[in-house]
Amino acid sequence: MTAVQTAPPRKRKSSLKMGLVPYLFLLPNMAIFGLFTIWPAINGFNISMYSSSNGRTFRWEGAGNYQSILTDADFWGIVRNTAIYAFAFVLLSVVIGVILAVLVDQQRRGRTFFRSVFFIPVLISPVVVGLVWNWMLERQGGLVNTFLGWFGIPEIPWLVDNNLATIAVIAVGVWMQVGFYMLILLAGLQSIDPSVYEAARVDGANRWRQFISLTFPLLQPSILVVVVLATIHGFQAFDYIYTLTGGGPVGATTLIVQYIYENGFVSPIRYGMASAGSVLLFCAIFALTIINWMVGRKREAA
Amino acid sequence: MFVTLRTLSPRQGAITIKEDEVAKKSRITARLMLAVTAVTLLGACAPGQVEGEGGAGQEPLAVESVDPAEFKGKTLNYVYFTDGPDQQATRSLIGDFEKKFDVTVNLEVLPYKDLVTSVQARLSGGNVPDVVRLTGLTDFKADLLDLRRYLGEKYAEEFLPGPLVGATGENDQLLAVPSDLTLNGPFVNVDMFKKAGVELPNPEDPWTWEEMIAAATKVQQATGSQYAFAMDKSGHRLSTVLNQYGTTLVADGKAVLDADKATKALTPLVEMMGDNRMPRDFWLGSGSRYTGANEIFLAQDAPVYLSGNWQVGQFAANAKFEWAAAPNPCAENCGGFPGGKYMAALAEGKNPALAAEFIRFMNTAENQKTFIVAGGFLPTRKDLAEEGVAYPARQPDMDVFLKDLSRTPEVGYSANADPAFAGSGTELVNAVSEVVAGKTDLPSALKKVQEKSQALVDELDR
Repeated sequence: MTAVQTAPPRKRKSSLKMGLVPYLFLLPNMAIFGLFTIWPAINGFNISMYSSSNGRTFRWEGAGNYQSILTDADFWGIVRNTAIYAFAFVLLSVVIGVILAVLVDQQRRGRTFFRSVFFIPVLISPVVVGLVWNWMLERQGGLVNTFLGWFGIPEIPWLVDNNLATIAVIAVGVWMQVGFYMLILLAGLQSIDPSVYEAARVDGANRWRQFISLTFPLLQPSILVVVVLATIHGFQAFDYIYTLTGGGPVGATTLIVQYIYENGFVSPIRYGMASAGSVLLFCAIFALTIINWMVGRKREAA
Repeated sequence: MFVTLRTLSPRQGAITIKEDEVAKKSRITARLMLAVTAVTLLGACAPGQVEGEGGAGQEPLAVESVDPAEFKGKTLNYVYFTDGPDQQATRSLIGDFEKKFDVTVNLEVLPYKDLVTSVQARLSGGNVPDVVRLTGLTDFKADLLDLRRYLGEKYAEEFLPGPLVGATGENDQLLAVPSDLTLNGPFVNVDMFKKAGVELPNPEDPWTWEEMIAAATKVQQATGSQYAFAMDKSGHRLSTVLNQYGTTLVADGKAVLDADKATKALTPLVEMMGDNRMPRDFWLGSGSRYTGANEIFLAQDAPVYLSGNWQVGQFAANAKFEWAAAPNPCAENCGGFPGGKYMAALAEGKNPALAAEFIRFMNTAENQKTFIVAGGFLPTRKDLAEEGVAYPARQPDMDVFLKDLSRTPEVGYSANADPAFAGSGTELVNAVSEVVAGKTDLPSALKKVQEKSQALVDELDR
């Protein structure tokens, strides 16, 4: 009787202990994440409602910083540039990523070699990527124009024409990141059960039909991950663009992170405006990620 | 969810789904409420000291005399950025100071780009350096020590009035000491001029803008160089041209750009970029970033290059051709546009008296001479300016800058020291870029610069 009476608390205690263990394992990482990511982010929200030029003394602005940003014509130009860049970047990253993943997956020999080749740009510092491509895309003496010149193509002003500069930053961005997305998609492809393809072949489906009816739908979860990551990368693009075009010509490749950087780190320093810009960027990325996620879940459920 | 539904009747199932949805909505509402409350509470807590609270400022001035023996064994942190050859001279002078006062000086050399944010971060973190080398005081004015407290009211009189403008705070506070002076001005490729048979400009009788452009174009045509004229992409360098045409972006806390004079000043540059006598791609291809055109001059792609005296040391070391400093071209005014660096002590530093003594030591006539000769700078001290400075290398070139210094309009000093100058300069660079790209005309672009400069002045004056 006594044993029966004392058993339940022991069980509760034990399950409480077991319940705590995972959190204890997570604690070191969560503490670092909380201290160096969550807390600064919350502080960023707070600073966005003040103005400060030194990060130590603050003047209350309320929604003043947001009002200044949202009524600034230059900001809307930057939003337009960012939207164009992010859309093109996501689209091209997914399309090229899928194509490369399928091609690499079909290789019987040298799969590791190709995987490494496409992944190498991911490992290069974005600042270096910007500098190297700046040199390669120079109108006079640049490697790209020299190469095109062999085919009689006249010099192209890659970095001084608004549209061409936009194309150049998108192309370099995709070149730099697509290897990473390809790896995610390749993992997705390799997780598809081969017997599904065997059944399709028995039913007489050609390769294109197999891709459309099997590969693409079964790859949806991996594509969703790539779309979410590429959206975040697309909206956060800055470092390589700053060294490639500096946001020029005439602001044509200035994206929102450069706007935030210039407010926060170029004289006159405006930490409040930079924080407000960061909050707006956070809201945009957060909203898009939620939309992507909901659309993806709906498709999966269907 | 499916399991629950299967065990229930359709009616019961519908009710469960409805209840589930209601619960979900309430959860979302509760989370939103929590977030809004958190943000509101957060907004109520200032992220730092609110302006007007605390920080009563510095006490009224009373000169303090300090016995140098008290410095013994102390340590001083000096945050520094280098232009190149000046670093060795600084280290050598620091060695002398350490010996004289039996102290230790930590020289912390930072990249120029990181200097302001790094010192700001150290001020926020309570790890305040004692002395810092700056190009302007705008970002630190409230944090600097009034050096009169230790160096006396009369100390400022040892320096030239022009460079002193940027070091002076409200109520004649001496917030820094101008440690070196720079002056913008052109360089010419002597070999190319000789080859083209074009006469070199006379430093005693400066050329005009028209004469300079005509000479540069003639040399370009004769030698087949890619460009005639190159210039750093910078608001500071463009201000040289504005100053020569009798206007400036900002001065004495006001936006003062004269659009007509600025149009006259910048039209030749826009025209030269239009027909690529001046490198158009160079101007458009680097966005809002500062870019130096020194490599274009060193590659002999342009016979005339507008930059400043800090290039003398670099060209002496790297140029594979004969070159020379040339006088600034004249329009309404002659002379260049001034710049320079300051040594400032931070009020919250651990050793303010030692910091002030260090600044005094580094800027005695003898020590400033050592420093500026090594770095190729111009003097800021009255006595050095009067007696002249002998530069063992490239004396004739430095003499050209010294001559132009006497012709430089005073307004340049207050323009360069104005808090709104850097931001207005960036707007000017962007405006010229828009005109060169054919997006707008010069008068419209300059009107936008006037508006943005005024907005900056208003913002920084708050």
